Amino acid sequence: MISRVEIHQGRYHDSVRLMQASKALQGVAGVTNALVAMATELNLSLLADMGFDMDTVVGVGPNDLLLAIHAESEEAVAAAHRALEEALTPKTDPSGGLDAPDPKTIGTAAKINGANVALLSVPGEHAFVEAMEALQDGMHVMIFSDNVPISQEITLKQYGRDHGLLVMGPDCGTTIVNGLGLGFANAVQPGPVSMVGASGTGIQEMCALLDDAGVGVRHALGTGSHDLSEDVGASSTLQALEALDADPETGLIVVISKPPAAPVADTVRRVAAECATPVVITFMGETTLEEGAGEVLDALGLPRPVYGSWKVPDQDHRPGSVRGLFSGGTLRSEARHVAAPLLGEIGTSEEDDGHTFIDYGDDEYTQGRAHPMIDQTVRVERLAAAGQDESVGVVLMDVVLGYGSNADPAAELAPIIEMVVNRGVAVVVSLCGTTGDPQGRDAQAGVLNDAGASVYLSNAAAALEAARLATTRTSS
Amino acid sequence: MSDLSHLLDTDPVIVTAGTDMLAASIEQQGSAVERADWRPPQEGTEAALAVLFSDDQMREANEVAIGRMLAVRPQLVDVKVARDVFSGMADRTFLHAGPPLEWDRASGPMRGAIIGAMLYEGLADDPDDAAARAARGEIELSPCHHHGAVGPMAGVTSPSMPVAVVEDAAGGGVAYSTLNEGLGKVLRYGAYGDEAINRLHWMDEVLGPVLSAVLKSRGPIDLQSLVAQALQMGDDGHNRNRAVTSLFLREIGGALVDGADAPVDQRADVFKFIDGNDHFMLNLVMAAGKLGSDAASGVPGSSLVTVMARNGTDFGVRLSGTGDRWFIAPAPPVDGLYLGAFTEDDASPDIGDSTITETVGLGGLAMAAAPAIVGFVGGTAAGAVRRTLAMYEITMAEHPVYQIPMLEFRGTPTGIDAVRVVRTGVLPQINTGVAGKVPGTGMVGAGLVEAPIECFVEGTNALASTLVRDIGQVSL
Amino acid sequence: MTARAVQIRPSPASPRVPGVASTAIRGMFSDLHAPATVIGTASQAVWVLANDEVVVASTSDATRLPNGVEIAAEATADAFRSVRHGSPVTVGLGQLMFEELTIDVVRWWDPRPALRRISAEELESAIAGLPSTVPDVESGSLLAALSAGSPPEILSAAESLIGGGPGLTPEGDDYLAGALAATRTLGEALGNANAGAVLDTVADPLMRLASIRTTTFSAALIGHAIDGRVAAPAGDMLRALTGRGDVALRHRDLIRVGHTSGSALASGLILGAISLLRSQPALQRR
Repeated sequence: MISRVEIHQGRYHDSVRLMQASKALQGVAGVTNALVAMATELNLSLLADMGFDMDTVVGVGPNDLLLAIHAESEEAVAAAHRALEEALTPKTDPSGGLDAPDPKTIGTAAKINGANVALLSVPGEHAFVEAMEALQDGMHVMIFSDNVPISQEITLKQYGRDHGLLVMGPDCGTTIVNGLGLGFANAVQPGPVSMVGASGTGIQEMCALLDDAGVGVRHALGTGSHDLSEDVGASSTLQALEALDADPETGLIVVISKPPAAPVADTVRRVAAECATPVVITFMGETTLEEGAGEVLDALGLPRPVYGSWKVPDQDHRPGSVRGLFSGGTLRSEARHVAAPLLGEIGTSEEDDGHTFIDYGDDEYTQGRAHPMIDQTVRVERLAAAGQDESVGVVLMDVVLGYGSNADPAAELAPIIEMVVNRGVAVVVSLCGTTGDPQGRDAQAGVLNDAGASVYLSNAAAALEAARLATTRTSS
Repeated sequence: MSDLSHLLDTDPVIVTAGTDMLAASIEQQGSAVERADWRPPQEGTEAALAVLFSDDQMREANEVAIGRMLAVRPQLVDVKVARDVFSGMADRTFLHAGPPLEWDRASGPMRGAIIGAMLYEGLADDPDDAAARAARGEIELSPCHHHGAVGPMAGVTSPSMPVAVVEDAAGGGVAYSTLNEGLGKVLRYGAYGDEAINRLHWMDEVLGPVLSAVLKSRGPIDLQSLVAQALQMGDDGHNRNRAVTSLFLREIGGALVDGADAPVDQRADVFKFIDGNDHFMLNLVMAAGKLGSDAASGVPGSSLVTVMARNGTDFGVRLSGTGDRWFIAPAPPVDGLYLGAFTEDDASPDIGDSTITETVGLGGLAMAAAPAIVGFVGGTAAGAVRRTLAMYEITMAEHPVYQIPMLEFRGTPTGIDAVRVVRTGVLPQINTGVAGKVPGTGMVGAGLVEAPIECFVEGTNALASTLVRDIGQVSL
Repeated sequence: MTARAVQIRPSPASPRVPGVASTAIRGMFSDLHAPATVIGTASQAVWVLANDEVVVASTSDATRLPNGVEIAAEATADAFRSVRHGSPVTVGLGQLMFEELTIDVVRWWDPRPALRRISAEELESAIAGLPSTVPDVESGSLLAALSAGSPPEILSAAESLIGGGPGLTPEGDDYLAGALAATRTLGEALGNANAGAVLDTVADPLMRLASIRTTTFSAALIGHAIDGRVAAPAGDMLRALTGRGDVALRHRDLIRVGHTSGSALASGLILGAISLLRSQPALQRR
């Protein structure tokens, strides 16, 4: 039997709370008797009555906290200490029944819900401080914001790596963790495939294609559009790749990136080759997302499907070039890759003549307004303008569904598409979405198709069709 | 954990800062999310914040500094004469509240108090003579804070005055304060009439020696324990000290009755004086605070606010990591209630070292503990609770001993972080008395004031520059 | 499944909230709407009986169950206040439709932890520090039966456990469920094919026994456990036992579940692990 008396000088608690604490201590397994009280005369005499050694309490006074325990073991004494701390620590509603003021930083917000992921979309010049605080508090970080200085990105990613935390971003549009989408993300079914992507719309298109093929997704970790630059050296991509390789619930990994820096691409390939889990690498500029999805299906032993489409039969249209109006940068670059063999030169700026594929998600077009996946104003204007422009024969545009995107993009686009089609322009839509998306993928496709657009689930297929329409017309 | 299982194996728990759309889309997916009500930091601090968050130095320094602040165990051990405790205090040295000050810039109450102290010390024939001598530079002014001391309002401490000696039972520190004169026409509010001067003489002849004898007889008094109890009895430790003063009387009661070596009428007068002055303990609570403040100062890299103090002209702040530097802004006006016929036109700008209480988690920061005075300081009981709740945003710790019953015995918000102040724009809330601006007037009211943001901006920038220099030295 | 009888038509003002459902009950939600009944209510959860299957709708501060649908609100929000015991419900087409509340299933979670391959030594050291307190119900024979891999003995041990002890899920049931789930999942992690085969053999008779001896809800959970599907904190504990996560922390979280459920489940998991180690030839030799 252990008999322990401790004095905590100057630690005051109200007697009622201390009686509750004594009771809690007496309930601890292995504690036969316990007293927690201020060292008043009365309590000291209680202590003596309980048979404790009074030599240790010489010179104490009523402002000192007394802790006396009879216990069977040191473990029980330790348990009693824990119980005491718990009893004297407030747990219920520490805001006096009033609404506490809203937390103002990532750190104080996380204290409320015990978060493990911080999602930041504050202006880029301010993202670093919040991100670093999140990392220091042990959170993984997704930085949706762009325009974070590259040196800060490197500092954050190095810190994350050193502390076993993943920094997703800056300029990370999409991440899915255990099916929960952060940023722009599609509703996915649970499945064996996980992704690492330095491209938001690349991840979204891959999710959409796999969903159409009946394959579910477990994680899709965005790493930010600069991750595969030479400066950043794929820091987060490699970290995520290694982690997914160790994840027993991931059966296959897809790595997606905008065109990477060559030496960095080699590093990623080398690490991927060492993974125990099969890895499919889809670098834009080398291959297409549709091809990447095909390799995934091959690896899973599933047939490559013909992806869904809602076609306009015998789409008649006036001659002219293809005007590509994109909201997703990666979708633009995939379309360009696919269409270039048929169309030849394709411009990427509104200043260019002939075929142009423009990314309206670029900073240049998003000043003062939301991303075009949310706010379609600019693209609606350009779509209408394409109808007026006699040099345009075909419009190719993406419509990206999912969480975070416009709640009903088809309703906004349909009347303009109808107008443009009536002026003799063929409209081809690349619809990036899954069956579970909140907008309703098939309903959106139906509305767009009814307005006169051909709709393809595969962006590559849509691009090919637009190029085919433009070239068949010119050649005929 | 390089396998990121902390991220991959659980449903993520998310905090967001930035656009609400990203938070809303998480809720759309059936998950809860905590939003930070983020706003940009104070202009001109962006670069400093980036430096301070570039590694763990500030965070680690803050842990050290706040740990030291919380570890002190203030004990009132003696009452001595000022000239005997302040080394190098000449006959013409006058300590004062707040950051450094010259007579030319001194406010009305500060001048009044200096005039009164000169009359009390016999250094001038009349008030005009005193003012003329002070203006000629015949006296030396020095901040209390430069001498391990604090003084409420004008805080003027002259060589003959009795001062309380407060020692740290847990460390080696010592802090000093004058003894409180009561309310109304008193020196610290700038009064210098016969009533004020006679009281000061009684204090050095009777009050000081009797208290010294009492302490010798009964031993030191644990101030932290008294404050902890008083917070549960409706005190805030700054503008309400009725409970803690009552507790103090109980502590010294026995020795005052039969232990102290002093004539019975003197002992009776001491009892009556303390009994008639609800703020008697304020100065001792302040000295206890100064101990914590000094213990926490001088930790390189720490953004902990160790001093907030005003001299009626300037408001000054010191940070742990920037040593003896003062960050100064004009003392703001007080938003208060006024006594009798006085109005805000009669009020001097904010004055006094009593903000040391807020610096250690009392006063305005512990407002939720003191519903009795919320009217006096311009609010409702619910407003007082909200005021305290808001302070958790900018503080480093919850005090382990000072607890607030209304908040389920949560510790008071303790240890103001200058960096969190500039990040959030949330300013430390101060409860204070108001002095009349005309010298000789005395107290005119009491109210609330917020520490000026400029001090924290300047402090944050200076702290960052100390780190940049350190980094520079390392790399050389 | 064709719906007859009562079809719920929620009032236009009735709130719709998104929910996260276990993949184990996905079938019910992909079917057409089917009628069901509320068989129990609490501030944290509502129990629904649909075609002899139990679905639990719960708040996010409740435990995720393998037959559960979770909403983001916490119990204090009283989201289920309008749901009455005995009232009709419709399940299907991605929805759980009460009279005055509709839950749309927008996301899925898998209650079957896929565990990494581990060695017996790793498992042995993972469980080394854990207390294996045994509930008040008779249990010693279960360890012997599982270790021996003997279907008749397992059934006989289960018979003495099922329905025994206090709680909505009787303590003995939770204990048994923990042991079965550990046998299934950790057996795979160890590469012990026999463990799974034994469970396949006992599955049908065990479920017949459960359907007679215990509550419908509890029997459903035993059924899931046989296939390795468990409440989320139990899944976390199993992951920790295979080197993903802190074993002591996950054990602590698990035993905090419910009144007795969590600790009975935890004890069952540990017993399952011990039985696997005993039947592991390499370790028997040591």
